[in-house]
Amino acid sequence: MSKLCIDAKDLKIHFPLKSGMFQKKRVLKAVDGVSFSIEAGSTMGLVGESGCGKTTVGRSLLRLYEIQEGGQIIFDGADISRFTDQQMMPYRKRMQMIFQDPYTSLDPRKTVAGIVSEPLLAMNIMKGKDAQDRVREMVELVGLKADHLSRYPHEFSGGQRQRIGIARALVANPEFIVCDEPISALDVSIQAQVINILEELQDKFGFTYLFISHDLSMVRHISHQVGVMYLGNLIEYAEVDELYENMVHPYTKCLMSAVPAADPVQNRERQRIILQGDVPSPIDPPSGCPFRTRCKYCMDICAEKKPELVRVNEKHMVACHLAGK
Amino acid sequence: MAEKILEVKNLRTTFQTLAGEVKAVRGTSFYVESGESLGIVGESGCGKSVTMLSILHLLDENARAEADAINFVGQDISRITTKEMRKLNGYKIGMIFQDPMTSLNPVFSIEQQICDPLMRHLKLNRPQARKKALEMLETVGIPSPESRLKQYPHELSGGLRQRVMIAIAMCCNPRLLIADEPTTALDVTVQAQILDLMKQMKEEYDTAVVLISHDLGVISSLCSRVIVMYGGVIVEEGLIDDLFYETGHPYTAGLLRSIPRGDGEKLVPIDGTPPDLLNPPKGCPFAARCSHAMKLCREAMPPKYPMNEHHYSCCWLHHPSVIAKRGEAKLI
Repeated sequence: MSKLCIDAKDLKIHFPLKSGMFQKKRVLKAVDGVSFSIEAGSTMGLVGESGCGKTTVGRSLLRLYEIQEGGQIIFDGADISRFTDQQMMPYRKRMQMIFQDPYTSLDPRKTVAGIVSEPLLAMNIMKGKDAQDRVREMVELVGLKADHLSRYPHEFSGGQRQRIGIARALVANPEFIVCDEPISALDVSIQAQVINILEELQDKFGFTYLFISHDLSMVRHISHQVGVMYLGNLIEYAEVDELYENMVHPYTKCLMSAVPAADPVQNRERQRIILQGDVPSPIDPPSGCPFRTRCKYCMDICAEKKPELVRVNEKHMVACHLAGK
Repeated sequence: MAEKILEVKNLRTTFQTLAGEVKAVRGTSFYVESGESLGIVGESGCGKSVTMLSILHLLDENARAEADAINFVGQDISRITTKEMRKLNGYKIGMIFQDPMTSLNPVFSIEQQICDPLMRHLKLNRPQARKKALEMLETVGIPSPESRLKQYPHELSGGLRQRVMIAIAMCCNPRLLIADEPTTALDVTVQAQILDLMKQMKEEYDTAVVLISHDLGVISSLCSRVIVMYGGVIVEEGLIDDLFYETGHPYTAGLLRSIPRGDGEKLVPIDGTPPDLLNPPKGCPFAARCSHAMKLCREAMPPKYPMNEHHYSCCWLHHPSVIAKRGEAKLI
């Protein structure tokens, strides 16, 4: 087995909510005990509906949140979950993020050269001529031209901006990159361009990605393993083909069948399971299994005990009381 | 043969901007038959939304829409006044917009917003309208409709808001429902609920639906006929199966290839970016990104080449002399 890049153990992120003087303190359990690991050089996909905590997981792996409630993040053998900012510094160079919205994640007052060189300068990796050369090399690698360097973000289209975002994330030569919905703001024909760049760069430099998306077919395309989240919990976690072909959790089945296929014949033949209602509030989640309020197989035990993530086979884990029965 | 309830002939829409005149729609002609569902696919900026907004007279002041004719149930609506158009909008033509948060009015309760078209168009009084509004909310599957009527849009989730939008659009039993990216802002599970609801409403009320979307999956699960737009023109039109399996235009083929099929094969993106509609190209708008492009493509706009009775493609590859020279184009 190759070495692990990221190993998250029982990660919990809770946000305190404003409450009145005499009210009970309430918390929003954005992430409530998530464990998974990503091998170096592979891609893990994280899927789920909006508000299920997938972005929070991604950000907390980069230590953009304080880990106070518990859990460990092990990055390349070191437990970084309690590191101070000072201690984090050498690790910051090794992890980066690509954001969802290419229109708001680039500083409108900086040129492309300024944006892409910022990580190098801020983390004292390179200076002067070296930095300029590196920036030029990076910009060309993501498919832009050297004469784009002196332009400003507003002069570019969405797909080109996302390339600038990718160049910025990769310029410091990190090992681990969180891609938070990198394609959802782009047109279909441009999405494929960006996905291909991410894949090519992974082949070339061996990056490890956490690919957060709600586009299940794109996640299947790019990931090696996939985790499904629901209401702050990882409910199913498996290798990609295993998950898409032998899904076990009732929620995963609903989620997969909800995706319309871009194929009319397949659409007509397929039986769709339509999930009723909305996701419950994470402030006051249901007791026991988070999915029990919408699950058609709900049993008595589901309300009493929260199902643990158990192994179905060596490639596949699921948190459901029905698993294995 | 079904009756054509909407027929658009040579629609042209331009916007006056500081940078010059943007030619957003450059001569589109199409029709909608009663009870059918027509999909319009294309990338952002291809003119799919502007086409529908032009028909409904809902464009901003800096826009100018011209058409040879727009026939809606026997009436030419291309030159009628906004006041006359208001009698049709929300009555004979229902609309659902992309973002249910910004298309519902935040300062009116759900009851007021549903009752408004009922009282205005169907001339119901308040208690009658209220009764009908309750029925509608029940039909679109909103739990405890009594209490929802008193609520305001911000109290509802995205899926519920979109259901309210559908209730408002369908309450006067329109002949035509125009849905502009109705599920883009929603999660997949909610999207499936809304698509299912739209299908059910369409059958129940026998309404024709025009669904505008960039998602080929959404289109193929709801529509029977599809129009593909690119750079302000229609490049291909056909029945859904013909379009997916007998693709006639390189752009449609490119779109289909850039979606993952689940077999792990590398995606084939369409290189480049869509044309600038300030100075649209003289020839085929897709020529600059097309791998089949010939000299002719950059010079002249291709005419419609019929593939079968309902299916045509605007591409020079189907010209008899090109076929004679290059053979039948293999696009997929």
